[in-house]
Amino acid sequence: MNPIEFQGLTKRYKRLVAVDSLTASIQKGRITGFLGPNGSGKSTSLRCLLGLASPTAGTALVNGMRYAELDHPLSTIGAVLDNGGFNPALTGLQNLKVICTAASIPDARAEEFLQLVDLESAMHRRTKGYSLGMKQRLSLAAALLGDPGILILDEPTNGLDPIGIAWLRNFLRGLADSGTTILISSHQLAEMQHAIDDVLVIDKGTLIADGTLAEVTGGQSLEEAFFRLVGGAK
Amino acid sequence: MNLISSEFRKLAYQRSTYGLILAAVALSVVSTAFSPFAIVQLSGEINFPLSDPNNVDGIYSKALSAYILVVVIGVRFMSGEFSHHTAVSTFLTTPKRHRVLAAKLAVAAVAGAAVNLFATLVGMGTGWFALQLYPNVAAPHAHIFWDFALSAALTGAVLCVVGVGVGALIRNQNLATTASLIWLFLVDRILAVIWVDGGKYLPSGLVTSLMNLTLSVSDKTTSLTINTSDYLPPLPAALILVGYAVVFSGLAWVSTLRRDIE
Repeated sequence: MNPIEFQGLTKRYKRLVAVDSLTASIQKGRITGFLGPNGSGKSTSLRCLLGLASPTAGTALVNGMRYAELDHPLSTIGAVLDNGGFNPALTGLQNLKVICTAASIPDARAEEFLQLVDLESAMHRRTKGYSLGMKQRLSLAAALLGDPGILILDEPTNGLDPIGIAWLRNFLRGLADSGTTILISSHQLAEMQHAIDDVLVIDKGTLIADGTLAEVTGGQSLEEAFFRLVGGAK
Repeated sequence: MNLISSEFRKLAYQRSTYGLILAAVALSVVSTAFSPFAIVQLSGEINFPLSDPNNVDGIYSKALSAYILVVVIGVRFMSGEFSHHTAVSTFLTTPKRHRVLAAKLAVAAVAGAAVNLFATLVGMGTGWFALQLYPNVAAPHAHIFWDFALSAALTGAVLCVVGVGVGALIRNQNLATTASLIWLFLVDRILAVIWVDGGKYLPSGLVTSLMNLTLSVSDKTTSLTINTSDYLPPLPAALILVGYAVVFSGLAWVSTLRRDIE
């Protein structure tokens, strides 16, 4: 059983088909890039996987179960989504403590992971004043709180400076080497080329490529392969 | 229990919660402190002698005015999840949404009861001091302390839960807050006075009923009359008020469990 399985996943919003019969598997201990143009259905697929949106048809499973059926979701799967999800009136530490309490995780873990993502000096500041990069780091800390075996990252490098991006790349590689399964959605193709093992490419809700990085790129750069697949201008 | 603690933390960590508690106390204090003054000033237009214990009960009843702001605590507690997108992390942490909602409603009920009770007690204390400034003031009836305290706790619990329901339906926090304030400050109160037959079933009419007052006030210039005998007895009023909590909890339940979370 693969950690993540999409089986005929379809999501419609009235007449718009956001995701159309997506079937794919994510391998354990690998970093998989989930690529596609804006509006291609990447975020919708991830939201269906995480139980935030209901599929119109098909399934999106985590360790063979729907997200809502997981007994300890934060210990199974951590997610960094593009819209943050932190209360701006609360400090970084308070936001994480709220999550810790709900998930029966000791409060000390919140401080531990804020240090890990280099937010130690800002943990007592309200997140209203956080930069985009700081919010991304906070999201990553929240995703890691439960020591999950699977990580979902939607545009994780948004707002990060080059040092932060390099740190994230090495950090994710370390996690993958220790057996963590990672699915990353991103537009940063040059960066992704250095970070991922496998690739899924989706366009207009339909999966158009699925394989290892070498199989999908066929000797080209990831950017060249991407434009070839989605019919871009390059 | 963890979910209840988590929801309580969301409320306790927010500075705006303390601002609303202060505002609720201030509203209660100003209402009770100002009422004797206003009544004395309007003595030519309304017949409301403070030598009548029923009328003094009426002064103390103004201490329950804080419920209007308790609703706002509930509204912001729920709508904030959607306005700030914290619903995402909330439901990622606890995907069984009905558990989150049950915890939120429980915390809202307890917090609403506590805040409204506290504001009411402070308001009643203020009313006692204010009434010392006037001559020939009767003592209130002995039962009002317990009647008002119970009314305040029940009203606070119910209306904070109603606020959560409103916050689930109107997910724009500012719009939900404004709509609630306009309804409770203006529409509801006006209806309760000018259309007693229907108004007695609205929150402010039910709160008046709960307090078990015996009041009859007439405005000599407008011939507007408030007579508490027109309102429901306390027990049916309490049941209808609880019915509001049930209905709005149900609406929150339906809208939160089914919708996609953005």
